[in-house]
Amino acid sequence: MPGIEEIKNGLKKKFKDAVVAVEEQNPTRLFVDIKSAKVREISNEIIAMGGRYLVSIGYDNISRDKTLGMIHTFGFDRDGIFLSLRTAVPESKPVMDSITPDIPNAGWSEREYMDLLGMKFTGHPKPKRLILADDWPEGVHPLRKDIPWNLMPPAAEDVAYQLDECPEGCSIVPVGPYHPTLHEPAHFAVYVDGETIKGSDYRGFMTHRGIEKLCQTQLTYNEIPFVAERICGICGSVHATSYSQAVELAGGIKISRRAEYIRTIMLEIERIHSHLLWLGVAGHLIGFDTVFMQSWRIREPIMWLGERMTGNRKTYGMIVIGGVRRDITPEIKEDILNVIGKVEEELLTVQKAIQGDSAIHRRTKGVGYVSTADTVLWSLVGPVARARNVDIDVRRDYPYAAYDEMKFDVPVFDSNDVWATVLVRLLETFEAIKIIRQCLDKMPNDGPILTELEAPIPALKHALTAVEAPRGEVVHYVITGEENAPERWRVRAPTYPNLQGVPLMLLGNQLADVPIIIGSIDPCFSCTDRMEIVDLRSGAAKTASQGELEELSRNKR
Amino acid sequence: MWLTSKIKQVFMVAKPGVVTLRYPFEPRPAPKNFRGQPYWDHHKCIGCGGCAAHCPARTILVRDLCQELRVMVYDGSRCTYCGRCADVCPEDAITMTESFELATGDKEDINETMELFMATCQRCGRCYDHEITNAIDRMSRIGFKYDSIEMRAVVPVSSEQFDMKLYEKTEKIKRPEKAGE
Repeated sequence: MPGIEEIKNGLKKKFKDAVVAVEEQNPTRLFVDIKSAKVREISNEIIAMGGRYLVSIGYDNISRDKTLGMIHTFGFDRDGIFLSLRTAVPESKPVMDSITPDIPNAGWSEREYMDLLGMKFTGHPKPKRLILADDWPEGVHPLRKDIPWNLMPPAAEDVAYQLDECPEGCSIVPVGPYHPTLHEPAHFAVYVDGETIKGSDYRGFMTHRGIEKLCQTQLTYNEIPFVAERICGICGSVHATSYSQAVELAGGIKISRRAEYIRTIMLEIERIHSHLLWLGVAGHLIGFDTVFMQSWRIREPIMWLGERMTGNRKTYGMIVIGGVRRDITPEIKEDILNVIGKVEEELLTVQKAIQGDSAIHRRTKGVGYVSTADTVLWSLVGPVARARNVDIDVRRDYPYAAYDEMKFDVPVFDSNDVWATVLVRLLETFEAIKIIRQCLDKMPNDGPILTELEAPIPALKHALTAVEAPRGEVVHYVITGEENAPERWRVRAPTYPNLQGVPLMLLGNQLADVPIIIGSIDPCFSCTDRMEIVDLRSGAAKTASQGELEELSRNKR
Repeated sequence: MWLTSKIKQVFMVAKPGVVTLRYPFEPRPAPKNFRGQPYWDHHKCIGCGGCAAHCPARTILVRDLCQELRVMVYDGSRCTYCGRCADVCPEDAITMTESFELATGDKEDINETMELFMATCQRCGRCYDHEITNAIDRMSRIGFKYDSIEMRAVVPVSSEQFDMKLYEKTEKIKRPEKAGE
């Protein structure tokens, strides 16, 4: 297992001139500047050293040195080191090698910057539009600084996304844009032969709101946590924490220990209610509404607890740069202990009642199988990866907030199916309760909850942070700017890598299992209103309502 | 196995019984500390504009109608109830109330407007430097002082078809204007 020195020396020795500079921000953060020609070889070398691909960040640097910057980031899970591979290509010829052929998960990141910055990646297997709407004019790249944030090109008709080629003899079942599992739009085209899924294509980003551009141009540092919190309706604090930590790291701000403990408590409370919500939704999707009703009943006191602690049941608004906004008083502490004690007791009843239920086993065991090797190859994260025998957890591997002092288990299963994700989430809920108890026990009683900033945040500092959200790992990358706002802020939610793995999970399964497989990654997008079934051979189209699809899923034996 | 699970499930459901609340037939007061509709106390407000500068949703607009009269508008329809304004207010003029039943047919019901008489600086004759180098202006970047009160949102303009020439014309799309430009 390589330490930070070995990584540094290994890259320097092997690639000599291609490695321009190495910067060690602190013992866990390494920045390597390289020449763009060698990006593919160096990325492969990092993967070979035991790195795991996280996300890529592209940014507009034209005003400074006429280049477009590109950063590939990797994590070394066993050593707790984040490596950022920084490179740049000239604006006049923004072409670089694609790393997607070897690291499939980089596919979306690269497509994103084809759309948003006008970069080109040679050798990309699927250079299609990903983020921009189909009628957005060619050659207009909204993340470049010369494009105003509120630009609204006129709409166009008769433009549509071209789906992937359908395998011969298969029918296409379009699922979405209003869709099966949760409540945001996304479109899956599922290619079926009879009932068996032979492939799928995804067209999403229909609610792309350009938050990054908005925050870079319009908002200031301390307003962004409130927007970040609204990226996800369920795990808001996760994004606010991750963003705040990134800015604190870039600006060298040290926050008080008490504030870190309060952040930890907020994150774990969020994990409890998110997992309970998912358990309910999963129960509903397979037609087991008792689980749905009961887990949501258990969840409700947690929401009320949030209301008493922070002033709102979901958008807590607790976390800002420098600490948190509200303190945990002795009364609130007592309140938290009561509520989580009750939740633990009731969840145990639910667990006992459902773990032996053969109806659930039949709908989830062996469904959505992905081999461990494929999970690693596709860099899947969170409970989806842990259910497939990949032992990663940001809280343990790259401790942040107060997790370095917490003792907890990371449940990992090797049955590689949806049933294992159910178990992982159930056990994690109990672990979260354990962590909250430890936090309340060990929390230091003094120290300000909000640390005042002594100096302005310096410009052009880079920082990368990751936080374990209920769905997996959230990665935020911040480049600080001059005008009291970040120059670049990149958010990668856990669904971003996991959704890229869905085609893999769907392969070879039954059509009726589509809702629970898509649902098993706990996606941050949406609910079935209707879907259309097109039979290629007869050319006849019929429309299935939400009710019919749900019926199909729920009546499956 | 199947039967024991079902029996356990029956107990699990029967024990808590009915948990549905009778709201809205029975009132359900919000807990204290709740971040509901913000309330401005015009006796306490000094018109510093700190709330407007910190509002992430830009719902608080400030404009000087003339040297002595400052208007502050709170646009409740866009408020996210984060309570940041109440946090930063130096005079505690803003409180987050417990009122949350704000559904209304007329947006004006949840807006608030305050007209404040401002003192003039005895030395320079105005409230503060109006140049862009001013620290307060730099802090707020957009909005705050120059936000157009009439035009609160971007006005979308669209046409039937598009091409690059049309795109070039979109440069002229209406955007919130800064006064004096």
